[in-house]
Amino acid sequence: MSDTTVAKTIAQTDSSAGGMGWLRSLENPKYLQHLLLVPVLVFFIVWNVIPLFWLVGLSFYKYVLVTGEPLKFVGLHNFFEIFNSFEIWHALSNTFLFVILGAGTQTFLGIILGFTFWGSKELPGRRIALTLIFTPMIMAPLATGSFFKIIYDPVFGILNYFIKGVFGVTIDFLGSAVWAFPAVLLVDTWMWTPFMMMMTLAALGSVPKAELEAAEVENLSWYQRLIHVVLPHGKFILMLGILLRTIDSFKSMDIIFTMTRGGPGNSTELIGLTLYRQAFNAFTMGQASALAIISLLIAISFTSIYLYVLKRKEAAA
Amino acid sequence: MANSDHKKGVKRALYHLLLWAISIFFFSPIIWMIICSFKTREEILMMPPKWLFIPSLQNYIGLFDMFNFSKELMNSIFMSLGAVIIAVLVSFLAAYSFSRFKPKGTDLIMFLLLSMRMVPAAAVVVPIYLLYAASGWKGTHSGMILFYAMFSIPFSVWILKGFIDGVSERFDETALANGGSRMHIIFRLVMPQVKPGLIAAFIFNIIFVWNEFLFNFIIGGKKTATVPVGLAQGFSAGGAIQWDFIATLTAFYSLPLIVFIFFFQKYLLVGMTFGTVRGEV
Repeated sequence: MSDTTVAKTIAQTDSSAGGMGWLRSLENPKYLQHLLLVPVLVFFIVWNVIPLFWLVGLSFYKYVLVTGEPLKFVGLHNFFEIFNSFEIWHALSNTFLFVILGAGTQTFLGIILGFTFWGSKELPGRRIALTLIFTPMIMAPLATGSFFKIIYDPVFGILNYFIKGVFGVTIDFLGSAVWAFPAVLLVDTWMWTPFMMMMTLAALGSVPKAELEAAEVENLSWYQRLIHVVLPHGKFILMLGILLRTIDSFKSMDIIFTMTRGGPGNSTELIGLTLYRQAFNAFTMGQASALAIISLLIAISFTSIYLYVLKRKEAAA
Repeated sequence: MANSDHKKGVKRALYHLLLWAISIFFFSPIIWMIICSFKTREEILMMPPKWLFIPSLQNYIGLFDMFNFSKELMNSIFMSLGAVIIAVLVSFLAAYSFSRFKPKGTDLIMFLLLSMRMVPAAAVVVPIYLLYAASGWKGTHSGMILFYAMFSIPFSVWILKGFIDGVSERFDETALANGGSRMHIIFRLVMPQVKPGLIAAFIFNIIFVWNEFLFNFIIGGKKTATVPVGLAQGFSAGGAIQWDFIATLTAFYSLPLIVFIFFFQKYLLVGMTFGTVRGEV
């Protein structure tokens, strides 16, 4: 009721101040709905649509930026080259491995942590504790990568100090083709397990209290509670979390860029890094564009899956 | 009776202890980094680690006359605030239109906006690089701010549309019936009610722009370098890796964000899921 009164008073003060005819015509929803969109559409067209057409066009050309050679139309050649390139298949399979192992571990640990923190409402200093846990995911990936280089260092690193104390050996984590991948994966897991924990907490929070109490009364076992009470409500948020993590880790770049630059050899090469190298080290813009379009299509399909799950969640709610 | 109460109390204390242990475990690399930032370079490199040392603020003081740090810090602050404020404002207007008028193509545009945000950074930056190099925007402050604004728009639109959908259309109708203008409805009726959405969009995008490295590295220049770019370049100035510099810079630069998520913790979930998941954490 009081809200309506507020609306009225604001409306009245406004109409007494008004009186400019042309401004009034903007009030017409027919124009206004588009007018409000103009700024966003300008951004969208200048920074997304035009570059996208440029990208599609370039992907059919041989275009090396620094040599000054004129553009040469090569048709689908760039795409064929990508499909025939061992390096790109290697980078792609590395990326999928990174995504599956990374997102998988983070989901697993995040769910365990989420359940552990379920019922932590009375924890003294809860807000500080959660800030400590959430910090890894808001740090600059570049800074995190740099810093873990110190921690992993074979001579000066604290991690090797402990490993030497226990096993008597030192491991050159980032300098060895065997260890570099798991070492990078570990940093990614440190950064993003808190995210999955947050999503798990949100999923658990979406379970109605009444149903949990009913389960308590009926004395269901923890397994039955999980299957019949928690999962039906929580699974959507959890799925959205897993999907977001999948999309995000597919994009991973900064920490690898700092820690290993894809090396040693190409043991930590991810597709984003390959793309970067093609465009800004080799300056083969045509081929980079073709690869960019492929990543774009992968991203669009991920997004579609995400929105599909979201729609189902809304339909179920 | 008293005994079982006592038992419950002990159990709860142990449970809380466990939760704190987990929290500190996750934070421990950062603790180590903060410790390092108070050590001299020689002390950082000591093996076994020197556990007892006289903390010195020398690294922090040194930061300000190193590698154009002050300039980079100003760039970080100026560009992230500028970009995110622009983005949140224009996104709010668009979100209002999407939510209330549902113009043709709303779903498609929302979908495309989101897709752009899901593409690997290197794929986004290739065409933008060509565009910027051709138009002369490369390495300019306005070019960078507008680019970051563009990158902050998709999540902001998504977050804000969700929140505006949650504000009853009754408000708009009542105000209209009483002769209120749309501008007043948008800014004085709806905007105050979606403040949590504005904050969530602001926080999430500030975190992103503040931490961003690759775009700035490629389409920025000397003039527009932010702290992460400076960090990447100052990494091994003069041959040796500057561990003290890295530790100090990282600690200093992360502090504002840590304070942010302490105060705005409940907005983190909304922000990171662009408004598609809401609730208490």
